[in-house]
Amino acid sequence: MEYRNVLTTCIYCGVGCGLYLQVLDGQVVGTWPAKGHPLNDGRLCVKGWYAHSFIHHPERLTTPLIRDQKGGPLRQASWEEALDRVAQRLMAIRETHGPDAIAFMASAKCTNEENYLLQKLARSIIGTHNVDHCARL
Amino acid sequence: MERVALVREAVKRLLDSGQVEGVLALRTVGPGSAPHLFHPGDSLDDLTLWPKYPLPKILDMLLAADPSVRLGMVARGCEERGLIEMAKRNQVDMNRIRLVYLACTAEERDECCCSWPYPSQIDVGDKVEGTADALVAEHERLSLAERTEFWKRQFARCIKCYGCRTVCPQCFCETCVLEDNLWVEAGVLAPPFPSYHLIRAYHTIGKCVGCMECENACPADIPLTVLYTLLRRDAEEMFGYVPGRSLEDLPPLAVETLWQTGH
Amino acid sequence: MTNSIPEFDETDCFLITGSNTTEAHPLVATHVLRAQRRGAKVIVVDPRRTQIARLADLYLRQRPGTDVAWLNGLMHVIIQEGMYDAEFVESRTEGFEELKAAVAEYTPERVEAITGIPAADLVTAARIYAQAGRAAILYTMGITQHTTGVDNVLSCANLAMLTGHIGRPGTGVNPLRGQNNVQGACDMGALPNVYPGYQPVTSEAVQAKFQEAWGYAPPLRAGLTVTEMTDAAYHGAVKALYIMAENPMVSDPDLNHVRAALERCDFLVVQDIFPTETAEFADVVLPGVSFAEKEGTFTNTERRIQRVRQAIPPLGDARPDWQIICGLAQRMVGMQPTREGRFAGWEYCSPAEIMAEAAALTPSYGGVTYERLEQGSLQWPVPTPDHPGTPYLHKDRFTRGLGRFTAVAYKEPAELPDEEYPFLLTTGRMMFHYHTGSMTRRSEKLEREVPEGYVEISPEDAGRLGLGKSARVRVISRRGTIETRAWITRRVPPGTVFIPFHFAEAAANLLTNPALDPIAKIPEYKVAAVRLERVA
Repeated sequence: MEYRNVLTTCIYCGVGCGLYLQVLDGQVVGTWPAKGHPLNDGRLCVKGWYAHSFIHHPERLTTPLIRDQKGGPLRQASWEEALDRVAQRLMAIRETHGPDAIAFMASAKCTNEENYLLQKLARSIIGTHNVDHCARL
Repeated sequence: MERVALVREAVKRLLDSGQVEGVLALRTVGPGSAPHLFHPGDSLDDLTLWPKYPLPKILDMLLAADPSVRLGMVARGCEERGLIEMAKRNQVDMNRIRLVYLACTAEERDECCCSWPYPSQIDVGDKVEGTADALVAEHERLSLAERTEFWKRQFARCIKCYGCRTVCPQCFCETCVLEDNLWVEAGVLAPPFPSYHLIRAYHTIGKCVGCMECENACPADIPLTVLYTLLRRDAEEMFGYVPGRSLEDLPPLAVETLWQTGH
Repeated sequence: MTNSIPEFDETDCFLITGSNTTEAHPLVATHVLRAQRRGAKVIVVDPRRTQIARLADLYLRQRPGTDVAWLNGLMHVIIQEGMYDAEFVESRTEGFEELKAAVAEYTPERVEAITGIPAADLVTAARIYAQAGRAAILYTMGITQHTTGVDNVLSCANLAMLTGHIGRPGTGVNPLRGQNNVQGACDMGALPNVYPGYQPVTSEAVQAKFQEAWGYAPPLRAGLTVTEMTDAAYHGAVKALYIMAENPMVSDPDLNHVRAALERCDFLVVQDIFPTETAEFADVVLPGVSFAEKEGTFTNTERRIQRVRQAIPPLGDARPDWQIICGLAQRMVGMQPTREGRFAGWEYCSPAEIMAEAAALTPSYGGVTYERLEQGSLQWPVPTPDHPGTPYLHKDRFTRGLGRFTAVAYKEPAELPDEEYPFLLTTGRMMFHYHTGSMTRRSEKLEREVPEGYVEISPEDAGRLGLGKSARVRVISRRGTIETRAWITRRVPPGTVFIPFHFAEAAANLLTNPALDPIAKIPEYKVAAVRLERVA
């Protein structure tokens, strides 16, 4: 039996409460508010208390999916195929219509590092400043 | 020897004895602590004692996850008493538990305004006497109307995080009446006065051992333990019952036959 | 935020506006209400009588969309009664005379006529705020999501500067940001007009810096905002959209238009953890991971950079989002001429390495390392490895030197109720769900609490429409129709209805007006005109 707690940061509002994810034998089974944290000091709101509860949800996407034609169904694909498809299609559109025919929505839900990488990809590889996220929404 | 070093020694002895698969205690994380299950052979250098978390609640979960496992736990007075009440209600099996008994320091007692800061036996630490919660005394001087007004004001701040319920080792019902729309209208902030808080308060009678976890988890800073302390006192006066005092005392709200048949 | 949440413990007066604080930023409310119990005054200005409004010492209910008027009114009273901080105005600001002239006509009586706030209450609020030792303004989208969003924010800044309530602990202009890492996404350059660290894309020097770092930098022209992207996709200028962990099919204004835009995309990629409403239109779906399955950092509303730590391995074949982007980038760089630059590569072993690169290119993050974050959080600007971070901004000077007052006049919202659409619709968040609901609606406990959307409507209006408790009601705007449940409540005044936007099946954003603030390009979510019909 393995039981441990991992200190992390809440994923909901902009306050950034410190919380522990309780891990029991590889499953996230709960949260604890971090005592001594400068913002929440042992408290959480209801969303924070249940911040773990969607992690193992059966609807989680766990494999790449490809739709071969508009209106058709999505099918499972390997990472190789999915990433090749995305790279080829984006580069082809860039070739035909120019860099600004491609736009990127980054995410207030992803990490700083991931947002940095996506805008780097948009700007330095595609060559467009069409990158934004839902800051206004 | 330092108190924490003595606890580490006691935990090591328990782990080495082969009586338990692991010992539930606290581990240092940055400036704080987090619950952790230590195994035989683990380094105990980062085992720490404070700030405390509701270890009985976690122990309950771990014992339920594996019906064959035996576990140890570092237990303060309130935590031992909490386990005793849980055992009476068939939530934990004391035969599967080995405790390292820890007495609280005066500073820890003051932090919790604790009236009973030591377990039934002491492996580590020195017994310090309990203290009275000044807020309770203050509250007792209020008239009935003033008390109602006081609690109305307190509960108006409630944001229905359910933290008081979720953190409580004595809240183990599979379906919680606080989540029954018949009793507490869902989705409303603050939750309707007084149903949410008084239902919870009544449900602590005969079980609440005053561990303070609910109040420390409350984002609205509601002095919940004042309410629960007064209820505990009433139950003692009326039924002579003190939660956590002994495994043999019958809870005042328990039906004897159910208790004896273990249901 | 100019200031920090823990500093609120020292604040003497809170002016909270357009913020449902206890529901949308609960742990900020904890600090506010704690301060209130030790004597601080709480003033709430909001069209909705929310929990924080009920707990306030003074509650002012303005008509939605009239914020410039009451803010100018406060400044009018403060100048009239000589309560402004003359020394601060003299030494730290410019443009005071223009401001004074602009607010002169906003007498309490005129403000009452525009906003509905009683003149006497406005005067009381002005006195409490101006005379407090330390006063803090807290606002959220109730201030920004208007066609006059920038005007509203400038007015808040004017008020703080006028009274000297900025540049000291416990004061300031404090937008509470709605999402866990909206601050960080902005900081990291996920914006069409700036590189990381708000370095403008229109600057040649900045372009040269990133050209050198990455081996390529685009032309000196800002890109498209999110709302402009969907519009461009609709009109065919944008052919491909790559959407990482966003859900415009619930979050964006005028969803019928968004749907048409996504359908017209030649190629749509969605990277997410759940099959969202947006993923239904995707040509390729890439499975990212939840916060429990990756390492990284988030930056909160007070510029505090904190660690995200991996608790479990990725589920199934899902991959951390940073690895997906790297995998894609590595393929794409192989399909074009080699980029030469110190940071042109895409071979990262860990998020710590990515942060090292981002910090090297982002002055305000210059001193951020994972080693330091192990010791605790850091608040930017933290320009060097030995800089301790910055709990509050503008201590001795503003970013531009002197703070500039900007005289602002009140303008009406883009769409107001009329005979055909007689109700004013305003939208927002609630406690138990989050944004487009992709996570909270899959959380059993949260979904039990509020399993369906609703429209808040006053008892008077419900009576006129013949609506009983929980009656089904159709809400219709010029852009769309939804069917939902009526919640009869005094939280909203007669004539105004409120719908939370978390519910895809009764999506508030089918109704909202896509009119934008001309500068910030933020949609006017807080004011639209609708009609209500009882569902038989």
